[in-house]
Amino acid sequence: MRSLLNILARYHNLIIFIVLEGIAIYLLANGNNYHNSRIMNGLKGVTQSIEGRVNYTHNFLRLLEINKSLSAENTALRNRLERISGRTGSAFQSVSDTLYNQKFMYLSAAVVDNSVNLQKNFLTLDKGKRDGVSTDMAVITSDGVAGVIVACSDNFSVAMSVLNIDFKLSARFKTNGYFGSVSWNGRSPGYAVLSEIPQHVVVNVGDTIETTGYSSIFPEGVVVGTVSDFEKSGGDFYKITLALATDFRRLHFVEIIGNLKKEEIIKLETLTK
Amino acid sequence: MINTVLKFGLAFFLLILIQVLVFNNIQFSGFVNPYVYLLFILLLPLEIPAWFLLFLSFGTGMVMDYFSNSPGMHTAATLLAGFARPYVLRILSPRDGYESGPNPSISAYGFRWFFIYTSVIVLIHHIALFYLEVFRFADFFRTMLRVILSSVFSVAFILLIESYRKRR
Repeated sequence: MRSLLNILARYHNLIIFIVLEGIAIYLLANGNNYHNSRIMNGLKGVTQSIEGRVNYTHNFLRLLEINKSLSAENTALRNRLERISGRTGSAFQSVSDTLYNQKFMYLSAAVVDNSVNLQKNFLTLDKGKRDGVSTDMAVITSDGVAGVIVACSDNFSVAMSVLNIDFKLSARFKTNGYFGSVSWNGRSPGYAVLSEIPQHVVVNVGDTIETTGYSSIFPEGVVVGTVSDFEKSGGDFYKITLALATDFRRLHFVEIIGNLKKEEIIKLETLTK
Repeated sequence: MINTVLKFGLAFFLLILIQVLVFNNIQFSGFVNPYVYLLFILLLPLEIPAWFLLFLSFGTGMVMDYFSNSPGMHTAATLLAGFARPYVLRILSPRDGYESGPNPSISAYGFRWFFIYTSVIVLIHHIALFYLEVFRFADFFRTMLRVILSSVFSVAFILLIESYRKRR
């Protein structure tokens, strides 16, 4: 007993170090698994208000640029609206029930925190549960995909950015429809990797890659990027490098997309399994 | 005593502020992420008990983690730096011991000594931090490059701040 106390007295610094380091590693292990990024939400309450304020100033200084991109998007939307409203519907649709056919719900949000220099990057958005955001919703910009919501509190939500080595997304060639999986290799914030494309497919530099809509998170046909480089590796698949359409270094406004029919799809799919 | 606590409290607050508002926003190709908040751990008095230093490092790391959205990463790395500090100080002790002043600083122990002291602690901290961030040994050398580049910038900025402090 006495020698035990002696050891404790002698090595108390080492013991304190090991205990504290154990706590730190526990936190790290919890936080590293991105599902547990929701733990951070409780802790982030304080820092978010500061980040919000910093971001507000930052946005104010960039108003001109933001206005330009917004007005460009407005024009594009107006054009699309014009195209849709001009079309006469099919003969069978006598009642125009707009809610019945709507599959996706869009919600615009501002990015209050973002990084591109880490291996696991997350975006913090200023819309939360009170605005109808929930986990597994898609996040896109006017240029292309941006991420997936992984956690939300009442007023904020955290999205896993495409620039996260845990991120995976099903995507296909716009031209021929062959689909593969997009992930990030942690190197450059401008590029991602498209894998699982068999080698008999004809690939050209500049081909557009878009989402498939198989995951019920992203709607079909959102641009991911363009092929910037490809090579035939030893296996049966190509090694394709994508230039991402979204510039993550200047992300300010995003759209959160909820799938209104998701529960129905998942229910049907579990029924058949 | 109260004066010392106030002084270091202010230093802590300022360094965290500079780190979070300025240095965390340097997004230079992902290879250069300077962490100057370590200066707080570097500057603490030589007489500080080792256990207290450990708790201070732990707290500093926690605060950084809250601000940079990375649970445990800074905590683990800063704690390791705090744990290593007494050993580093023992190895680097000047010929006539630590007689020149109560705090490790350029003015008391000279530029050369402070440079080596800073480099060793920063390197320990950065190696722990960057490898914990990646959490896998694939891309070992790329991570090493990030560690070295970031360390160079961290040391440079820490020395810059420290020499400015000395002049005042």
